[in-house]
Order: sequence, then C-alpha cells, then structure tokens
Amino acid sequence: MARPGFVLDVDERTPPLLFHYGEGFRLEKLPLGSRVVYPSEPLPGVRDVDALIAHALEHPENSEPLSALLKPGMKLTIAFDDISLPLPQMKTPDIRGRVMEHVLEAAARAGVDDVKIIAALSLHRRMTPAELKRAVGERVYRSFYPESLYNHDAEDKQNLTFIGETDQGEEVEINKRAAESDLIVYVNINLVAMDGGHKSVPVGLASYRSVRHHHNVHTMMHSQSYMDPPSSALHHSTVRMGKLLAEHVKIFTIETTLNNNAFGGPSDFLQKREWEWSTRDQAAYLATKRFTDRAPAHIKRKVFGKMYAPYGVTGVHAGETGAVHEKTLANVHRQQMVEVDGQADVLVAGLPYVGPYNVNSIMNPILVVCEGLGYFFNMYKGKPLVRPGGVMIMFHPVANEFHQIHHPSYVDFFEEVLAETTDPSAIESKYEQQFATDPWYIHLYRNSYAYHGVHPFYMWYWAAHAMDYLGDVIFVGGDRKTVSRLGFRTATTLGDALDMAAETVGASPRITAMKCPPLLLSDVR
Amino acid sequence: MKKRGSLLADAREVARGWRWTHRPLVPRSVELPDTEPHDFPTAWARTSVGRAARAALQAYALKPLIEFETRPRVEGLDVLGGLRAPVIFIANHSSHLDAPLVLTSLPPAWRERTATGAAADYFFDVWWRAAATALVFNAFPVERSGGKGRATHLAREMLADGWNLLVFPEGTRSKDGWVREFRMGAARLAVEHAVPVVPVALRGTYQAMPRGASWPAKGRKPVTVRFGRPLWPRAHESAADFNQRMRAGLAITLNEDRSTWWDAIRNGDSDAASGPDVARWRRVWEASAPMPERRRAFPTR
Repeated sequence: MARPGFVLDVDERTPPLLFHYGEGFRLEKLPLGSRVVYPSEPLPGVRDVDALIAHALEHPENSEPLSALLKPGMKLTIAFDDISLPLPQMKTPDIRGRVMEHVLEAAARAGVDDVKIIAALSLHRRMTPAELKRAVGERVYRSFYPESLYNHDAEDKQNLTFIGETDQGEEVEINKRAAESDLIVYVNINLVAMDGGHKSVPVGLASYRSVRHHHNVHTMMHSQSYMDPPSSALHHSTVRMGKLLAEHVKIFTIETTLNNNAFGGPSDFLQKREWEWSTRDQAAYLATKRFTDRAPAHIKRKVFGKMYAPYGVTGVHAGETGAVHEKTLANVHRQQMVEVDGQADVLVAGLPYVGPYNVNSIMNPILVVCEGLGYFFNMYKGKPLVRPGGVMIMFHPVANEFHQIHHPSYVDFFEEVLAETTDPSAIESKYEQQFATDPWYIHLYRNSYAYHGVHPFYMWYWAAHAMDYLGDVIFVGGDRKTVSRLGFRTATTLGDALDMAAETVGASPRITAMKCPPLLLSDVR
Repeated sequence: MKKRGSLLADAREVARGWRWTHRPLVPRSVELPDTEPHDFPTAWARTSVGRAARAALQAYALKPLIEFETRPRVEGLDVLGGLRAPVIFIANHSSHLDAPLVLTSLPPAWRERTATGAAADYFFDVWWRAAATALVFNAFPVERSGGKGRATHLAREMLADGWNLLVFPEGTRSKDGWVREFRMGAARLAVEHAVPVVPVALRGTYQAMPRGASWPAKGRKPVTVRFGRPLWPRAHESAADFNQRMRAGLAITLNEDRSTWWDAIRNGDSDAASGPDVARWRRVWEASAPMPERRRAFPTR
C-alpha cells in the first residue's frame, strides 16, 4: 500500500536529505527542528488501462457515450496536451496515445472519415515529429502525420475562429478546425491540480488574443493559488470561457491521472525516503552525483531527457468537462495532497531539472524563476507553506544558459527587459505588446520550434504572486550575476542562506522544506 | 577536510547518519511504534563449525585480550563440580566486560556448552553486530521491551537441548554500579525447567569499563569473578519467590567476595547489593572506588 505524504520533524537521527539542484543533486543537513514535507508514495496504477479507458468512454460523466456521439460524415477533432506534460516524460506507451487509439477505433467503427489530431500547445513551441510520435504512438502517427496530425498554430489568423466574449469581456478565439468540428475530443494528462478542466480547450487551442485575458499579472495576483482552482482567478476565467465555448461546439473531455512514480530503475532513490536508502540506493546516488558533478551540461540534459517515468495510471474519466474534472481533481488530490500544520518563516526547496517548458531543452534563468516562485511556491491549497514576508530558499545553479531555438524571446527578455526592471506590472505594461507582436518571434513560433514571443512574460507573471508575497528570495549555489539580474540574492551554502534570511525573519525561523518531485500539494491549515 | 565535491566527501555525506544495516535509524517523527523486531538467525552459531570457531576465538583471542586489559581473579569454580548441564548462570551487570569475563572464567567444557542472552534491540539490531555476538558469545536475543514469545521460546529450546545459559537478570547494565531489580525471565525459565541457577558475582568491571566506555580503562584494573552456591527451584515455588532467592543468592556471593563467606552468610544482608540509599553521585562514587589491591604474602615486585 502506498504510504501517504507526511511532515518530517528533523531530529539528530535524520540523515542528510536529498535536494534537487538543477541537473544535479545535493545532500543537505537541515537545522534541527525544521520540518520537511514529503510526498505520498505512488498509488498503485490500474492494471488494465485499456479496460479503464473503454469503460470511461462508454460510461461518461454527464454525457452520452462516445460511440453515440460519433456519426458518419462528421468532423472530429482530437486535441491533446503537448510536450509540457507529463514531467518527466512517461515511458511509452504514452497514455495520450492509448486513449487516442480507443477514440479512433470507435470513430472507425462509426465510419468517421474526417479526423484531425491537433497538439494543443497554445503559445508553447511546436512539437517535433519525433515528439508527436512519442505522444500519440506509432500507429496513430503513421496513420495521420503530417496531414491530419499537426501542431496548433496560434498565429495563423486564417485558421482561428472568434467565438465571442464572456460576460466579463474575455475574448474567446480558438483553432478554426476545432471550432468548426462536430465534436472535439480533448485528451489530457492531469499531472497537477492546475491542469485540465476548462483550461484544456479554451487555452490549449487559443490565440494570444484569448490567452492574454487570464495570463496577466492581475489574474495571477488573484490566483492564490493557481493549483487550487476554486481559489484561482485564472481558472475562474477559463471556466467562463469554457462555458461560452461549450455553447458553440460539443466537447468530449477525456482526462487521465498518473501516480507519483516519476523515477524508475537506478534513479528510484530520488523518490525514496533518505533513511530508507539501501546500499544500492547509496551507490546509485554516489554514481549519479559523480556524473552530475563532472559531466558537461548538454550530456546531463541528454541523459536526464531519456529517463522516462514508469508512471501508473490512477484514473481515466470522460464526458462533460466540468463533471470529468471534478473526478480528476479528486484523483490528483488523492495522490498529491499532504496536510501541513501552519506556515513557516522560511521555505526551502530544491529545484529539479524537470520543468514544463524545458523538455528536451534548457531550463533558462526565467524558467528557473517560474519553476521555483511559480510552480513550487504555488503548490498549496489554503495558505502558502511560508508566511507573508517570509523567505524562500532554493537550490539551483541558475546558469546563464538559453536554448537558442526554443527560447529566443527569453534571451531578449533577460538581456533587455530584466536589465530595466523586474517588476511584473511594469514589465507587462511596458514590454508585453512589443514582444507579443514582434514579427520575428511570430515567425520563429510558427516555423521553427520557438516559444511564442510573449511566453517569457507569462513565466514572469507566474511568479508575480510569490514575488509580491515573499520578503526575500535566495538561490543557494546560484550564479551570482544571473541571479542578481533576476532581482534575487545568492548564497554558497544553506547555512549562509539561513544567515541571510535572518535579516528578514529573525535568527531562529521556523523552516519548512518541500521534497518535490515527486509532486505534492500542501494543504496548509 | 576533504573539499566538497570529491568522491570521498560525497561518500562521507551519504554515510552520515546512515547505518550499515537492514534497519536504518528512523527520524522519531516518522518512527512506527509497532515495528516488528527482526529475527536474526543464531542456530548457525551452534553448529559444529560455529562451536569450533567460537572455542578458538574464546580461547585464543577473547581470553588473552581480557587478561591483557584487566587482571581477572576467578573464585568458586568448585561449585560446578557437583552440577551437570544445563544450568543458568546469573550475574550482576554493569559493563560490557561482564559476559566475556564470565565465559572466559568457565572451564572449557562448561564454556563450550554455554549460550549468552544479549539484548535484541542492541546486539541484534544490525547484521554485523548480531553475527559477531552470535558467533563469539553464542548469543541469543533477549527482548527487553516486554516482547515475550520468540526469544523466550529460543531460550527454552536451548535449555531443553542441554545448553547452559548466561543471563543478566537486571536486563541492562547498571548505571551506578549497584545491582538493580531482577526481571522475571531467568527465574521463570529455571522454575519451568527445574534447572539450578548459579549466581556469579562480578566486581571491578564497573571500574574497569563502565557504561559508555568502548574499551577497558588503562592500567589493567583488577576484576573478580566469584561463582556462588547453586540455587535449585523448590517444588511449587513461584517464579517471583525464586527470583527473590536468586537476588539474595547473588547478593551473598557479592558480599562473600567483599568479605568472607562466613561473614556473608552470617550477615545475610541481601540488600547490600543494591547499594546505600543516598544521592546518586554518592552511589556512583562508592561503586567506582578502586578495588582494594589483593594482599600478597610474598610480593613479586
């Protein structure tokens, strides 16, 4: 049986604890009395995934069965979550491909000829053919690529349809093919509580015109946190858009949830509790540490990129978006929720090499900020793990390194925008339009494999709530110059960082560390 | 200090707070109270190979080591003359020296047939310590935390097979050098199996290697091992009553070593073994007083 997540009190028996450090690892001895939030062990995966999918499609939530929705001569569009999920990438067969095969088999039986499969990547970079093939599986890829299996293009004005405005004035504009379909089947992987629901179609298949209504500083400041949809302005906005969209086009949502089994084989020590490490785990750690200390960054990225997670599937639900998502969230909570009593003065976290926007890529300094102050900080329900005005200490080298193909606008954002100001609101009002409409970035987004010109702004907004909330942010082991450009401070060791934090929170702070990944969602009481 | 990042430094970091064991040290906040104690197998130590290895280790390593580090004096071995295995040896316990001292004081024929009760939570918690204890002392695990069942069962089996047992009925080493209350295990075994109990008084081990020391103190401290008169459980005697007699028997043997046999049985003060009822430091002070040097009629130097 999977043991649930828990909060460890560090005592003299506690061994040094493992923290991610970008493409490396550190063992850190936390001060006695610190607390450490550990994620739950992986829930058992479903044995017969195909039966589970088939059951979900034939017994959907609040909807007719899929087979009843498929008619000869109809236009069917299957959209799916892009390369940003899951993290790390999963071992094949990818759950998206498995679900799609069931949908396509039903479509073939019903005599549906007009099928398009679209990677719902919104303003993310396009997926390469190899990445598409990995996600959808060889059979689907061979049958549909390239004519009928392709990436969504949010800048292809000819192929976008304006649906209308919500009662709050939010414009809804999505992929034309999807909008004109008789049925959109959306296949998702709901890795964290932020994903899925109405965030799938109205965001994944949308354009900048539509996305800007919720991907902005104001919304992010009122999403506390965006990992808790009922308390998230981001989700309130997407729900309004989704409901409007549902009036125009039939959407059949299929959501899947995975367990916490993020690291398999020799790397499974990464998800074990340190005091339970076997000799083999110790040896694996030492070997990994030697490798990460010595190997050049690009080799490490290559190796880590090939470490696919042996996730188990914990649930598949299909039907009407809202009803499905309720069940999905319950599954996510079942795996990730950890109750934590009270807030700390200092939050400590090790930032890993995995992130949604650097798959097969480089986690550049802006993505590091998004990972730490965006995702990690926001992994809460209720209250943040750290008190207002507290300090967040993160382990990451924060190297000044960018992927020139994937993140061209990030380079300029770092060199030009951040050199000017790090204030999210100032950045938003002064620079966003310029980057979002820059023809060169748009060209690279459409024809190369670049993230949209506006994407680094969103990463910065993602961290806006934490920047506003925290008293200080310190990167242990970070590159001094780079971190300073980001507007934060660096320390060489955790001890130094705690000394620096004392300026803000006093000499004997309450410290809470989070051990993530595997993923956890703190329910702070 | 090795610089951070070297293999040695990494290995040290990993090894910090970690034990070479199947049973790691678990932080208190996540320790489960009902952790099943691990059953370390000890039967292999009583096979002919194990016995031969132990006889050699005890005779050629343990005994010379004890005699090199302390000055043992053994008295009262004649009581064994009228006995046949199995018997239960009970001794007062204040030092890690106690078990090796008693074992190496026994004549080889008795030593070879004697097994030692050792705390399961201390000696049997890690495989290497358990293996070494089982081999050298022919040890069997004793549950100190009230766990009955397995360990007692093993002791019964061994008595039935004719093994003598060496047991420290206090359950743990004395903190102040004086004899604590006895636990019931040894008395119960003796009553059930109707085997005699031989009290063994150990003096000087508290001074030679007290609790907390990892090696005997310098200067070859004198220690004495005195075997007392065997005690037989009487017909229908309860374990509790026999336990009292055992304790009195050990107290007399201790007194006998301090004074004379005659004085000891005449005074019959069994409470003397518990030490004076004074402040703790005074008890420790008295218990740790150097043993009087043995009077020599013809000093050799």
